[in-house]
Amino acid sequence: MIKEKDHEIVFKYTCYRREDFSVCVGCKICASVCSVNDLALNVNPQELLLKLFVGEKIADDHPLVRYCTSCYRCTAACPWQIRIPEVVRAVKESLGMESRFEKAFKKSLDIWGRVYEPFVVAMTALDLLRGGYIKYMPKWMGYAGFHLPHKVKRLKPTNASKGSNPSEEGRS
Amino acid sequence: MMEYGYYPGCSLTGSAKRLDQGVRRLCKKLGHSLAEIPDWNCCGALEYGDRNELVSISGENLKKAQGICREIIVPCPACYKNLKDADPERSFNIMSPLELLNPENLSQIEQKRDLKGQVFFPYYGCLLMRPEGNSIKNRNIMEDTISAFGGDVNGENMKDRCCGGNQLFLNKWATERLSTLILGKTKGTVVVFCPFCHMAMKTFATGRKVVYLTDLLLYVMGESNSL
Repeated sequence: MIKEKDHEIVFKYTCYRREDFSVCVGCKICASVCSVNDLALNVNPQELLLKLFVGEKIADDHPLVRYCTSCYRCTAACPWQIRIPEVVRAVKESLGMESRFEKAFKKSLDIWGRVYEPFVVAMTALDLLRGGYIKYMPKWMGYAGFHLPHKVKRLKPTNASKGSNPSEEGRS
Repeated sequence: MMEYGYYPGCSLTGSAKRLDQGVRRLCKKLGHSLAEIPDWNCCGALEYGDRNELVSISGENLKKAQGICREIIVPCPACYKNLKDADPERSFNIMSPLELLNPENLSQIEQKRDLKGQVFFPYYGCLLMRPEGNSIKNRNIMEDTISAFGGDVNGENMKDRCCGGNQLFLNKWATERLSTLILGKTKGTVVVFCPFCHMAMKTFATGRKVVYLTDLLLYVMGESNSL
């Protein structure tokens, strides 16, 4: 659960300021186009913005946090073009809700500077086995192939920019 | 004849190798050369909650491109979005290969086969179409291209719906439901340009082909084994 005092990290991550969400007029057009609602999960992204604006707790089992597909349909429909998927992503990271798959992705980037798919598959093999993905293997043969990882020589530490406080600057 | 910078992105070196090969072959046939950005790194895809961190990772690639090229071809839609986000001043012209398919370039294609009598569903997915300001300019480019070679298209109202591709390894039931929703309201060969969409559609399509537009164009140009 994100408590009120932890909201600042979400603002820092997204580069939105609290007052940026004051423009939300509550039209719920984001909810009307949200792909998560095609999953019959009855979410309202506007409610998440409101919680951040007024400083309410956000539960870590929030279906939007779990299922947002980053489709940006909400952003395209929003009168203010608020990038709600990026807000959801920041909330997810603040909650420590990242899956093993997402962690393996970032780990690969830390090691090589690129995503090396065989590494991600190896790190998530148990999840793939338990999750019933084996039945898709015949369809996925076309994606298989072997190559050695390329180590990127020049890549700054990925959190190099975290020293600044972008939430005070807002979005350009 | 133009020389472009080229940012393949991670998936095009692995599971989406076919798209990489298709883009390279297509550009060669159109007379364009591609110069890969030296020592490029991952764009961060959709995995980072910290916008500054994501922009910093993507922006490294633009630093590496400085002095080499101003126009950069970026096939993967997630990379395309991230590189554009990393360049708010528009110092570079970040382009999807789809943006090369203008009438002038299409007229140069030496057509050996046509698509008459075949039905296609051109499927863009999300990140080529949204968010606004990052999207491709011609939002009918795949329809225009397929129609130019005689193919029939359908599925206009589903072409920018979400397949749930980035949930495939997190909540596959969600991807299955979103993909089958799209597949159920369209017909014919699914033509995509996104590695996520290709995998989601391929996984959940029954009895339908899923192809990259590049492969379809190479088929029209007479290349064997392109489909």
